[in-house]
Amino acid sequence: MVNSSAQLFTIEGIAASLIILLTAYIVVNSTSIYTPGDTHISNMQLEVTGSDALNMLNTAQNGTAVKTPLQTFVEQNDASGFRTAFLNIVNNKSGTSPDTIQFQANVTYVMAPLYTTINTSILSNSSQALHSGDHAVRVTEWVVADKTTKDFPECPGMFSACGGKHAVLVEVLLWRD
Amino acid sequence: MARLNDDAQWIVLMGFIVSFSLFFLAIVLNQSTVVGQTTAEAVSEFPKDDIRGVRDIIIESVFMDDGGTYNNKTNVQHEIHLLTLSRGGAVTNFTNSTDGTYTYVEIHYNNGVTAYNESWRYP
Repeated sequence: MVNSSAQLFTIEGIAASLIILLTAYIVVNSTSIYTPGDTHISNMQLEVTGSDALNMLNTAQNGTAVKTPLQTFVEQNDASGFRTAFLNIVNNKSGTSPDTIQFQANVTYVMAPLYTTINTSILSNSSQALHSGDHAVRVTEWVVADKTTKDFPECPGMFSACGGKHAVLVEVLLWRD
Repeated sequence: MARLNDDAQWIVLMGFIVSFSLFFLAIVLNQSTVVGQTTAEAVSEFPKDDIRGVRDIIIESVFMDDGGTYNNKTNVQHEIHLLTLSRGGAVTNFTNSTDGTYTYVEIHYNNGVTAYNESWRYP
């Protein structure tokens, strides 16, 4: 005769083994993400700071119809003017010491006279160069530059072929030193 | 036949319930990391500033004068196409029309992940 004692224990054992198997399956199958200290959060903040700064620089004083500071910097290729204004905005904070954000700004524009190729030139940069270990974020701002004044290499003077208004893209790489 | 010992069945049942609930809590914890990561990535990859910038300059370009010494509007709009494609990795297409009272601008932006379409009217 079949000994049918302790059937409850058998059922319990089977159920327990199923739970263990399922747990092992989920653990092995789960995605592991290794993020060094939630870098994306500080990157997002840096991005917001940078694009706000560019936005402020590209706003005319008191909403009047004069050129914005950024327009002037781009048109006159004013590296030190951009550096002073930009660092003033991003590095100012409450407390005694300023922040240590570094940047490199490029201007990308369509080259005259054919207007089919683009060119990038350095507008300005801060005291430190971008090293391989630095983690930079990129922010951009569109500027309408009136190239009839002083300008890019291929637009030598007034009333040249590439005069008039042109769209240029100011790209800034930002990183915390 | 041996008598089945059915004492303490409630305790065994409770043991099962507790272990299963622990199990589901573990699944929730497990998924929370993935959810947080994907949300943060989605937020930081959404080209909010790109769209705003290109939208602003498209609308600005619509009101530029064309012809004369310089073809301001044609040049700027051509450059917007070229620069967004080469530096922003996005395709933009826009048209503007006017019916005497209103100026309409249709803006389309697509960077392969995010598509943005807008009909803008002035005034």
